Amino acid sequence: MNWILGPMLLILLIPIYETFQDKDIWQKMLAFASVSTKTSIMILVISVLRDDWMIGLVGVLILSVGNASLMLLAQVLKRVNEL
Amino acid sequence: MMDQLVNIVSNGCIGAGLVLWLWGTWPLVGPRSVLYKLHTLSMADTLGSVAIVVGLLLRIPSEWPLLVMALISLAIWNTILGYVLAYCSTEEPND
Amino acid sequence: MMFFLNLGLRLTVWFLLTADLSPVNIVIGMVVCLIIPRSFTFNHASSLRDWAEAIWQSVVAVPQAYMEAVEIMVRPHRYEDLTLKEVPPRRAPGLVFLDIFAITFTPKTIVTRYDNRGWYEVHWIRRRQPQ
Repeated sequence: MNWILGPMLLILLIPIYETFQDKDIWQKMLAFASVSTKTSIMILVISVLRDDWMIGLVGVLILSVGNASLMLLAQVLKRVNEL
Repeated sequence: MMDQLVNIVSNGCIGAGLVLWLWGTWPLVGPRSVLYKLHTLSMADTLGSVAIVVGLLLRIPSEWPLLVMALISLAIWNTILGYVLAYCSTEEPND
Repeated sequence: MMFFLNLGLRLTVWFLLTADLSPVNIVIGMVVCLIIPRSFTFNHASSLRDWAEAIWQSVVAVPQAYMEAVEIMVRPHRYEDLTLKEVPPRRAPGLVFLDIFAITFTPKTIVTRYDNRGWYEVHWIRRRQPQ
């Protein structure tokens, strides 16, 4: 099952490239959201590969709280733009 | 026999998830609008990741509580994040 | 109604996270779910049927989302469009949440704004130039 990680890493490079290529803040936010989801899925896959559920638990926790910070950041950015 | 079948289905799910990831993430580098990219990202990050996690779930059904938790939070958070980003990145209509 | 749904949701999350059905854990889960705060707004005209419909809608959204994803992959959707969708008056917040979830989950549509006066602003991608 090791073959999965290669393509995953390659696909992960796309949003990372986008984060420093684009100047618009919302495009950057999109790319960061994408990176956050993709890395936590990768953590889950690695935990299955290594058969270690402590890693998997971390992945699930990141999935369930990680995006909250991005939402807050989006709200703050909206307010700042309105000033 | 059964094991092999489960393996094939699980590999299929993960493969489909990877295809969705690639297809939905690729437009991110293009010049399209934020909302258009949100549509393709909801395809990649929500649907693709759900497919991958289902593939993992078939492989290790013993850990189903955690993986189901992952599925639920993935679907809800990603969708609502899409809504919040769409809401925040568009201007308030003046009326 | 809202109360039981809320409690059910919290208990589900608790049991999925702890993955432990022993009596002690059930008691702890119940206590935690009842203690953490919730909002008390009950002046909404939503019946059990509305809830069943909304939940069914978000379940159906899952296979529909995959179908739309395949459709987008096979035929490119290049055009964007903005429409308004009406909301029944005085809908409960939970129902509005489920509506937004079901609409946004499918890749072709995203809710960009919810207005209290009774509409969602829905953003579409389409195959052909909208009129």
